[in-house]
Amino acid sequence: MNTPGLNHFLILSALLFCIGIYGLLTRRNLIAMLMSVEIILNAGALNFVAFHHFRHGGEPGGVVFPLFIIAVAAAEAAVVLAILIALYRHKKDLDVETSDTLKH
Amino acid sequence: MMKTLLFYLISAAALISAGMVVSVQNLFRGAFALIGMLLSVAGLYLLMDAQFLSAAQVTVYIGGIVVLIVYVVLLLGGGVRSSEARSVRWRNAAAAVLAAVLFVALAAVFANPDFQPAASAKPRSATVEEIGHALLSPGANGFVLPFEIISILLVAAILGAVSVARARDDDV
Repeated sequence: MNTPGLNHFLILSALLFCIGIYGLLTRRNLIAMLMSVEIILNAGALNFVAFHHFRHGGEPGGVVFPLFIIAVAAAEAAVVLAILIALYRHKKDLDVETSDTLKH
Repeated sequence: MMKTLLFYLISAAALISAGMVVSVQNLFRGAFALIGMLLSVAGLYLLMDAQFLSAAQVTVYIGGIVVLIVYVVLLLGGGVRSSEARSVRWRNAAAAVLAAVLFVALAAVFANPDFQPAASAKPRSATVEEIGHALLSPGANGFVLPFEIISILLVAAILGAVSVARARDDDV
């Protein structure tokens, strides 16, 4: 057990990313899919901070980008949840596989 | 060593709670597992000396986004449960295989020596002062333009969310 280095954080973020991808592919509920996307975004932000800390000597860009990721995730969550409320009002259901009226 | 032990504990918490987010049927429990995942990532930021980012993660993600998700889950009530019951087993297996292949590919890339820290560089993180200067300086290393654009994006997202979710007269 040596001290956690860049590799440890990269492998952890890769694991989180893959868990998020798995959730995005298997969940059928749109809110659950949104939560999987949040996991994926966090894995990406973790990668930014790991490279910032271990490889780039604390150059501020590596922390500023995760801040922007958090801000964009907030905007995304607000818009997605508003759309889900409007969708639920019409269909009484949030299943992805029945939400296909735009296709026909 | 303290830091190593903390890293493995927090990593295990992050992975377990992320696994719960993608597998729990009850969305309310899923949202609380998501809080656990976000707290663990905030702890990992602290391990890398990124205190400001850790605080922003807790306040904005847990205090804002997850609260919004919990609110919508409560608002929509029973209709958001148990649509997973009809999930097809082969599709779950295919997704698991795909995620595993993706992980192997990522791990192979991360094993590349280009992804190792330079031997001379001592690990350090930007201080809050450096982050503030970077966010508001218009120079080559500044981020003032994306900073301002993000504020426009947030206003547009709030107005869009309100106008989309507003109840109209022709609705029930």
